[in-house]
Amino acid sequence: MSPETGWFPIASSDDLVERHVYLGQLLGRELAVWRADDGSVNVWDNRCLHRGVRLTLGSNEGGELVCRYHGWRYASRTAGCTYIPAHPGEAPGRTVCNVSHPAVEYGGLVWTTVDHGGPFSAPAGITERSVALRALPIDAPATTVRAALAEEIDRWSVDGSPVVAVVQPMDEHRCVVRPVLAEPPASCATIALDVLRHQHRLLAALRERVEVGIIATRSPAADLQRIQQRTPPRRPAPGTARTTIPVTVAARRDTAVGVRAVELRPVGGQLPTAQPGDHIDVALPNGITRQYSLVNAPGELDAYVIGVKRESTSRGGSAWIHDDLTVGDQLTISEPRHQFVLRRDSFRTLLIAGGIGITPLLAMAQALHANGLDFALHVFAQSAEHVPFGERLAGLGDTVVRHLGLDPAATAAAVTALLAGPGEGEHVYVCGPAPMIGAVQDAAAAAGWPAGSVHVEYFANPADTDTAGAFTVELARSATVIEVPAGTTLLDALRGHGVDVPSSCEQGTCGTCVVGVLDGRPLHQDVYLDAAEHAAGRLMTTCVSRAAPGTRLVLDLEP
Amino acid sequence: MITLYDYELSVNCYKQRLLLGILGVPYRRQPIDFFPGRQHHSEAFRQINPFGHIPVIDDDGYILADAHAILVYLATRYDPSGQWYPVADPHLLGEVASWMLVAEGTTSTASAARLHDTLGYEFDIDALRAGAHRLFRRLDDHVWFHERQGRPWMASAAHPTIADLALFPDVMLSDQGGISLLDYPALRRWTDRVKRIPGFTVMAGIYPA
Repeated sequence: MSPETGWFPIASSDDLVERHVYLGQLLGRELAVWRADDGSVNVWDNRCLHRGVRLTLGSNEGGELVCRYHGWRYASRTAGCTYIPAHPGEAPGRTVCNVSHPAVEYGGLVWTTVDHGGPFSAPAGITERSVALRALPIDAPATTVRAALAEEIDRWSVDGSPVVAVVQPMDEHRCVVRPVLAEPPASCATIALDVLRHQHRLLAALRERVEVGIIATRSPAADLQRIQQRTPPRRPAPGTARTTIPVTVAARRDTAVGVRAVELRPVGGQLPTAQPGDHIDVALPNGITRQYSLVNAPGELDAYVIGVKRESTSRGGSAWIHDDLTVGDQLTISEPRHQFVLRRDSFRTLLIAGGIGITPLLAMAQALHANGLDFALHVFAQSAEHVPFGERLAGLGDTVVRHLGLDPAATAAAVTALLAGPGEGEHVYVCGPAPMIGAVQDAAAAAGWPAGSVHVEYFANPADTDTAGAFTVELARSATVIEVPAGTTLLDALRGHGVDVPSSCEQGTCGTCVVGVLDGRPLHQDVYLDAAEHAAGRLMTTCVSRAAPGTRLVLDLEP
Repeated sequence: MITLYDYELSVNCYKQRLLLGILGVPYRRQPIDFFPGRQHHSEAFRQINPFGHIPVIDDDGYILADAHAILVYLATRYDPSGQWYPVADPHLLGEVASWMLVAEGTTSTASAARLHDTLGYEFDIDALRAGAHRLFRRLDDHVWFHERQGRPWMASAAHPTIADLALFPDVMLSDQGGISLLDYPALRRWTDRVKRIPGFTVMAGIYPA
């Protein structure tokens, strides 16, 4: 028997009801099929890549599928893992991704291919208007069933509209017959119940005849051979920090005084999985690259949404976006990067946003809201007109508290009041201008919050970088010695010697360029690593941090 | 206070916990060591139920055995809405009784297959599985056509009845008896609906939707 390849139906469109995970099988492969709230259909191997538990035991949460066993969350469309509860402080690696298959909805059926079956084309007779009738599984091989159908399907037509029966091979012994009414009469929106019942009786009678005629042909050897022939799971290539994803500006609008919301859609294909708190690098046509946090809610997958504030001291990034960027422009962006990771094991989460610092916290608030977790979002702004994304905030209800028009002293007082008593298992996330972050850190320290429970994201490194003083670095893996002269960053010195270290912000805020330190004491000037990491001295950022003049560092470029 | 003579892994005991949880009726669980202790066959337990079956309830001295009989009693006594055992609607009540009998069938096939696979009972496992598949095919047909008529539950009502609770654990745990629900997508959708009934209770192997 020649192996079956190409596109097959896996379900009827009606099978994928709201918040359901459908169980299907095609060519020996068990599949979890689910529809997200935005209508998109996912066809995934029915095993969590973590411990192999069936995803059909898990929950369809509308934009994510959650495995029942250890709560790993996977995003619709990309199948990328968005959260691992056992590692609440770390973002899942980009390669953590379930095995997914293409999905097409056509003629009332959901179609997929598990062997890269090329572009989709429907079998003869099935059109966009076709309507699925009741499908039935049959304990007989697809070839046997096709032969039985061929003898009588012509007689199944309804008022002149032919019935086309597509056979979905579950494995070599079993199949599903999926009849569709190829050209339903335009007059009726749904097929009458008695027609459905009649068609069901025809198919059930055929099933009975075929199954009675089947002699048990199963052999363990054949089953084993089939299992061995299964292809290994495909994995996407590891990501990089470069801006390699082309996107189109789909919309831009003012969302607050001086703040422009920009919607970036992929040019073909699918945007990578993002997690709340992520940011992307956006490469602008004027040669400048800037980082912007995504404000996307869970399940919001068609476009990345960013909020760009016009900076009075703009170095050409925000001013260009405000003045020159128009709908239809093409840009390139990086894959989303995770430095501001939202834990979802807190008893309560306090989100404190200053000005445009609201963007990553808004993504977090929407995720916490969707997960039904306890949180509050405190928004500090000059005035109500300065608070962006009001429509998203409205969806969060009374968890949002606005603090408007406060001067620095009043802001510090308000922050101190918010942080007065650290609760057991509570976490604080803050993003905003440096003085406000400083106020939060001081208030948290004074009130006794554990250092690990306060999470900070800076827009910019508030300190000026000191590049005076020459020092020496030794690269442990390649046994190379590089002199770093005064006025040159460690990053530039490494690149000058042909050593490629990825970087992004180049001001000590993003952590892209972090390397390991094996010996010597780094002189930290970044705001990415926390106080404990600075004190330990095992990691450093190469873009701003150095060593004391005349001293030597031994680096491991893969920390 | 109701006392439920209970075994955590028993589908028939779970049916009672489901209904009591949904109705919000407080009760006390008296654990019976069904496996491996076979406490339901002990002399002491036969004083309570001479047939040696669980579940049994003791409602302030009123003792009743047999899972589906207890569902009838609890729903009639403790559901003021009258929807779970709809005595006021003869047509509906007839349907409920009919599906309760089907549930006797699923319990004696699908759930018996589970006893074979998980607790080592010596049954004809092939016959049990074939019997369960025959019933599940009929149930899937029924649910599929009911869905087309806007009826989400086993009986023709807009609300669930004890027939749904009597069938649910047998269907939900059939995988533990080697009976996959792969062929029954409409039944799987119905199990999601049962799991979303307010007050739904889980047990080992049955998770929320």
